[in-house]
Amino acid sequence: MPPGWGAVKGKGGRPCTCQSPGVTSTFAVPPAACVADQSGRYRPVPPKLRPRHPRTGHPNALSPSPETPLSDVTSAPPRPLHFAAFVMNTTGHIIQGTWRRPAAHQANFNDLDHWVSLARLLERGKFDAVFFADVVGLYAPYRGDERKYFEAGLQVPSNDPSVLASALAYVTEHLGIAFTASVLQEHPFNFARRISTLDHASKGRIAWNIVTNYLPNASRNFGLDGLTKHDERYAWADEYVDVTYKLWEGSWEEDALRQDRAAGIHADYGKVHRIFHEGPRYKVEGPHLVSPSPQRTPLLFQAGASEAGRTFAAKNAEAVFITAPNLAAASRDTTDIRARAVRHGRRPDDIKFFQGLFVVPAATEAEAKRKAAELDDWIDWDGQISHMSGSLGIDFGFDDLDTPLGELKTEGVQSAVGWIKDLVPDRPATLRDVARFTASNTRIVGTPEQIADKLARWQAAGVDGVNLINAEIPGSYEDFVDHVAPELQRRGLMQREYAAGTLRNKLFGRGDRLPGRHPAARYRGAFAPQPVSQSVSQSA
Amino acid sequence: MPENQPAAGKKRLILNLFEMNCVSHITHGLWRLPGNNRERHNDIEYWTELARLLESGGFDAVFLADVIGTYDVFRGSAETSIRQGLQIPNNDPAMVVPAMAAVTRHLGFGITFSTTYEPPFAWARRLSTLDHLTKGRVGWNIVTSYLPNAARNFGLDGEVDHDKRYEIADEYLDVLYKLWEGSWDDDAIIADRDNNVFADPAKIRPIFHEGTYFKVEGPHLPSPSRQRTPVLFSATASPAGTRFAGKHTEVVFTGGASADFLRQTIAGIRKAAVEAGRRAEDIKFVTQASVIVGRTAAQARAKRERYERLTDPEGYLAHASLPFDPSAFPPETKLKDIVGANGGTGRWHAFNPEQTAGEFLAGFGNFSRRPLFASGTPSEVADAIEVWLDDVGIDGINLTQYHSYDTARDFIELVAPVLRERGRLRTSYDPDESLRDRIFGAGDRLPDRHYAARYRGGAFLPAPERAGALTA
Repeated sequence: MPPGWGAVKGKGGRPCTCQSPGVTSTFAVPPAACVADQSGRYRPVPPKLRPRHPRTGHPNALSPSPETPLSDVTSAPPRPLHFAAFVMNTTGHIIQGTWRRPAAHQANFNDLDHWVSLARLLERGKFDAVFFADVVGLYAPYRGDERKYFEAGLQVPSNDPSVLASALAYVTEHLGIAFTASVLQEHPFNFARRISTLDHASKGRIAWNIVTNYLPNASRNFGLDGLTKHDERYAWADEYVDVTYKLWEGSWEEDALRQDRAAGIHADYGKVHRIFHEGPRYKVEGPHLVSPSPQRTPLLFQAGASEAGRTFAAKNAEAVFITAPNLAAASRDTTDIRARAVRHGRRPDDIKFFQGLFVVPAATEAEAKRKAAELDDWIDWDGQISHMSGSLGIDFGFDDLDTPLGELKTEGVQSAVGWIKDLVPDRPATLRDVARFTASNTRIVGTPEQIADKLARWQAAGVDGVNLINAEIPGSYEDFVDHVAPELQRRGLMQREYAAGTLRNKLFGRGDRLPGRHPAARYRGAFAPQPVSQSVSQSA
Repeated sequence: MPENQPAAGKKRLILNLFEMNCVSHITHGLWRLPGNNRERHNDIEYWTELARLLESGGFDAVFLADVIGTYDVFRGSAETSIRQGLQIPNNDPAMVVPAMAAVTRHLGFGITFSTTYEPPFAWARRLSTLDHLTKGRVGWNIVTSYLPNAARNFGLDGEVDHDKRYEIADEYLDVLYKLWEGSWDDDAIIADRDNNVFADPAKIRPIFHEGTYFKVEGPHLPSPSRQRTPVLFSATASPAGTRFAGKHTEVVFTGGASADFLRQTIAGIRKAAVEAGRRAEDIKFVTQASVIVGRTAAQARAKRERYERLTDPEGYLAHASLPFDPSAFPPETKLKDIVGANGGTGRWHAFNPEQTAGEFLAGFGNFSRRPLFASGTPSEVADAIEVWLDDVGIDGINLTQYHSYDTARDFIELVAPVLRERGRLRTSYDPDESLRDRIFGAGDRLPDRHYAARYRGGAFLPAPERAGALTA
């Protein structure tokens, strides 16, 4: 067991004095970077001075991941993978603690220039998109409260990602801009309008990552008493997207906007329609306020791999963000969701799968390993566990690292539980596996050639793209753009130039709009028999 | 600083451009003018070009109006609105601000958002994000929405009653103040790399708001932005609106049919501010004003005639949600005979019942009948603006656009230099000043006597022990 954490367990821990002056902490377990001084009180220790792990040589190391067996790479001609930068408008997104590295800028997330320069870098590197994660609340308590999240900058403070989009669109020409928005946070009428505004502003480069919400605090920020039940959340999402589809696809006919100055006709009244949506949760009259944008419906992203989540993805998603722990799981999950899509009348290739991965490249394997070990010195492993703990809504903060997780039933991230079990099929998964899962399991360390080899295997396992996790901004992406991308491009595994048109067309090459077999397409022309004039309430 | 101080005793003009993310905002029919850029509102370049132009001319802010529904009362349908591009299509104003912020350093942004239909938590976060991105250049025009269609877009059967909307708005603001002013202390962000502490949990607290309309736990998700609370605009003169402005508003956007009406409005709201424990001068008054200027009187006249000729009265009728159609009657019919003695009044166009339908309709094409309208040479226009400032008592204008970008360009090239000579307009921006500091000259944050300030440091919020564990 690595010293420094987990050594003290149970609820009778000593008070920690490494917190802010004047704060009495009742932590049962001292934070990772604390050691007891002579008086028995815990004080923080700088990373470099921490005792090192006897085997791997860094203080918070976990035992190495078992080498995942790799299936054979098929001999099919290479097609480019898609690449998105997985970021969040916050300090500590996925890999905690690395914001402290000298060249790390992610703590500057309040600053527009920070994002503008990242967007330009990504476009220089021919990334398909920047992908913003988001949450609208704090993670569930860890060691009894939310203290850890503030101290780690773990997704708090955080800013609204959608607000960055127009500026990023302005400074780029091709980069897709994907952002996460929960159905919890905004009425679909307003949300649909914001998306359409941004799709216009970006000339069709917006993607929406559709999420429900798994954080009780987020629910309570929006007037609810707690988390909505898992399946009910997807029923909510079903209706939410239905409203937006009606607004995006059905409200304005293609040629409604005339802009005829001589005739004085800006839009054709007979081609703009109200939607009159009435469902269990929403009642929306319309018409949509924004004229049809280049994509109409933004590119639809989705994550979440529970039963209800997979069904939702199969019906709606064009891109699915997965975090498979290994190739076998990726193959199984992509196959499953594609098969479900077919049952919903779509084609297997109507969905692109983006695997979350983190790469550590260097000129030689030894150098890459040295870089990875150096990075591990900075990782806040306690933060990694707190993130998973808070996502699941199960407080692991008081438990030993080798505690088996058992059969978890949670209203939180159901999908993650399955993935953790996949990590170690031969024995019960433990908290140690959780930490490794969140920080290093989907990490590829090696030369650009080795990384390209591994990415080819992910592709062979059914993955279409990579959502690239960062340890630091801009460093992680600079490394990738300058060192890995050239090798990938040489092999045809990454685009050298952008395709024309909207984000949807860039990814699928089949035009700017959703295919006719997507459920949103049913609303095209669906409201035409009810021109606006027929049903207007006169009661003003 | 000194060169931007107004000359002794002279009030300096607050200069905003009145905009909306749509084609036909308030000068209906004029989108058809040659060279008008209104149809480009979907393009982000329309906004970045505009922002650069305004900053080059020393504008204080661009003020973005908004509605979240369609005007469908006039003639019982949205036909007129849709045909004229009258605020439909319209796009979200907040979404174009970041691109404008990226190409400017000083220009402020007034963004309209309604308190009636959206949960406060997400909006508070979006505004804080904008205030961070712009480094403190954001203002919020608080509206409560008045379109019946807007209500029906958000699940209601009709408009919420006027006074109740202000009651909701009052609680909405209360939630936002708690999030903006109370949830995070100024020194909460430590960013201590050595000890791995980014923020100090003891200086961040949930708000546990529970009121009549909202229940919000918090904490606020963004850290304190430069202004914390954005500059607060609002625009009404009803009794409920006056009380609301007295308590909350920093810049009242107001109008009226006459100078006398404006003077009364201003006096009434200043009085309400004092009653709310603020100072009379804590509120600035900005009115919609219209300027057509030429190098010569003849040029100005020709321009005005061009604009008047293309003006479409029906757009104004639809915009006013007029519940009757004067164009359906013979021109000599008196308005009182059309609507009856107790007939409705349009929302913004109070009319004289003795007027005939023909006179009424012709009035829309006669700009001189509008309040705060000035047309002529640069010095004539500047004279008029000085009268507005000194005699009517306003502090600034939201400049009506007839033509984008000619209206702003004309003002910058012709009027602004004269106003500067007379000490009525800033000669340069003070570097690195927030919007609030520019308007009031007293720092980035709300003054202590504003209601919102009570929440600073967590006062009037639940006790820290409760805040320590959100789910305890």
